[in-house]
Amino acid sequence: MGSEWAVRASGLVKRFGDRNVVDGVDVAVPPGTIYGVLGPNGAGKTTTLRMLLGIIEPDEGERTLLDAAHPREASDRVGYLPEERGLYPGMKAFEAIAFMGALRGLDWGTGRKRARLLLEDANLGHAADSKIKKLSKGMAQLVQLLGSVVHDPELLVLDEPFSGLDPVNQERLEAMILAQRARGATILFSTHVMANAERLCDRLTIIAGGKVRFEGTVDEARATLPIRARYMPHHPDAGIRALLPADAQEEGQGWVFTLPPEGIEGVLVKLIDAGYGISGLSIEPARLHDAFVRIVGRDALEAAA
Amino acid sequence: MIRNKLVRQTLTVARRDFIATVFTPTFLIFLLAPLIMLSFGAVGGIGAATMASSSADKSRIVAIASPADARALIAADRNLRGLYRRREGPPALVIQSPGGDEAAQARRAFDAKDTDPTAVLYGPLSRPTVLHVPVSVRHADYLARLAEEALRSQRLGGETRLSVATKQAYSAAAGRTSQRGSNQAAFFAVFGLFILTLMLAGQAVGTMAEERSNKVIEVLAAAVPLESVFLGKLLGMFGVAILFVAFWGTIVVNVGQLLPGNFARAFAEVGPAVGPLFALLFFGYFTMAYLLLGSVFLGIGAQASTPREIQMLSLPITIFQVAMFGLSQAAATNPDSGLTRFAEIFPFSSPFAMAARAANKPEIWPHLLALGWQALWVAATIWLGARLFRRGVLQSGSPAFWKRGRTAKTLEAGSHLPA
Repeated sequence: MGSEWAVRASGLVKRFGDRNVVDGVDVAVPPGTIYGVLGPNGAGKTTTLRMLLGIIEPDEGERTLLDAAHPREASDRVGYLPEERGLYPGMKAFEAIAFMGALRGLDWGTGRKRARLLLEDANLGHAADSKIKKLSKGMAQLVQLLGSVVHDPELLVLDEPFSGLDPVNQERLEAMILAQRARGATILFSTHVMANAERLCDRLTIIAGGKVRFEGTVDEARATLPIRARYMPHHPDAGIRALLPADAQEEGQGWVFTLPPEGIEGVLVKLIDAGYGISGLSIEPARLHDAFVRIVGRDALEAAA
Repeated sequence: MIRNKLVRQTLTVARRDFIATVFTPTFLIFLLAPLIMLSFGAVGGIGAATMASSSADKSRIVAIASPADARALIAADRNLRGLYRRREGPPALVIQSPGGDEAAQARRAFDAKDTDPTAVLYGPLSRPTVLHVPVSVRHADYLARLAEEALRSQRLGGETRLSVATKQAYSAAAGRTSQRGSNQAAFFAVFGLFILTLMLAGQAVGTMAEERSNKVIEVLAAAVPLESVFLGKLLGMFGVAILFVAFWGTIVVNVGQLLPGNFARAFAEVGPAVGPLFALLFFGYFTMAYLLLGSVFLGIGAQASTPREIQMLSLPITIFQVAMFGLSQAAATNPDSGLTRFAEIFPFSSPFAMAARAANKPEIWPHLLALGWQALWVAATIWLGARLFRRGVLQSGSPAFWKRGRTAKTLEAGSHLPA
């Protein structure tokens, strides 16, 4: 590929009626990475992905997809799992996968062979000849995901891929996404479940109210909140508070406070010298979940819920 | 390269639709629907014929006549009855000997238990009286005619023939078709096209609704331009239509060969003006009629989101088809009128009217022009259908002016593709 960006968009705007559902969104996805688009419900994630893929046209802004001026020109090199899963109920699983490959330029014969292999690898070999209507929702979802990768796309776009999957299948899906990156593909996915994003994303962007609120790595997102320290004294005592930073709060039998900029060593020396001892100590960077809530704003999340 | 990609994408969609339609048990019912229709028709026909023949068997015409008159009447009946086809002839003639009051005897004749007299003749042959049931005036006329013929033969002395004719068969030169034949061919062409498109093109209405209810539309729309989706669906359904036509066409042709020779001769006279090319043109116009009407139905059906809406749409669609049929029928019967020119040029009646023209007029070039013109309209209709779908359903592009302010609400109310 050799290009700087697998997906690049600037100033995307989409209006539905009088409402700007997407309002000036910039996206830049480096090739070979897993890139997350995070946001609460109704943030404009799906509309952004649809514009990037050329399913709908933006009212304003520009985008390139795998260096193609119009996303449609690159459609054979892209795989897509829409948020609303849809397969023909009367089709057999392996045919459905081959059909999705055929839509993206893979010949039927190769598609059918690969479909069986992919199903075997996903422990769904027994379902290859079952009709889609006979499969469970989770199985059908995996079949559709296999259909979106059967033609070995350079870019894989997944819209809320984890929704509706049980923990075992979520883990299986994470492994499949990592395997796609290992193959060299770029993965762009949207989610509002932070745990999956935290484990998978090389970079992410957080959208709320149609605007980008954050762009960077998971660590950079976490760094928007201070690192918290949790201290458990060996000899609890009310006098401990005086030795801790001002924002310290008692939680259970321990104390939680923001890690001082100069480090925790000075605080620890004082606590040991005073004879309170250390029964437990953990230094925890903020979770992505907390960073997300802070960035998006609790009010916005409650409005979306 | 791009064109190849479009063709490939279109054919992928067409192939899926064709297979999904043909390899189902319902397709067998669809394929055999005409057989079911014919069977019902045959059963009804046999029933009606049985009822008709049983009542006809008991019908009688009665003549109250002396033995001498009776012989003459029977001879006349034998001669005249020979002019009728067997089923069309008058009821059998029964002779009764006169006994006293003939008028009273004639009235009593209507009371017969085992037969059903429809007319009774009595009195002298030169001035007979014929009583008849109100609906059987023709039977009364027949009896009156018998009296006339019987009296004539009596006066001439026996059954002497005054005129002896020589009958010779004559048929028009082979290959020549009459003007009447051309008009008939035009009628059959328009009617055939109409029936075929009425039965088959209407199927296109529901195909996009299927995609929307399966939610497959977004998978398709992401991978393939909507125009290819529309054309692919249309071609898939056209493939089904061709299969249907080929199946029944083969049967009809083979049954035709089994028919008696005079049937074939009768059909030979119903000839199109362009000659053997007609079959090719008929197929071309069937294709265009299907694609044109099918693309309109597909485009309209794509806007419907529930089966109820599709049902509501089927009436205006049928009316539209019938209107096109009426227009073309008028064109078929008056090949040189202004209305005909209009029907030939107006894209949605053009295939029908041009098929009629192929039957009526021998020039070939207008057909090439018409096929090109119609193909252009197929493309335009598909383009328009896809555009409306993209705007109305996928909510892409600026919403149409009549939907402004409504789109956001539609979206929240569960538009198929939520934001």
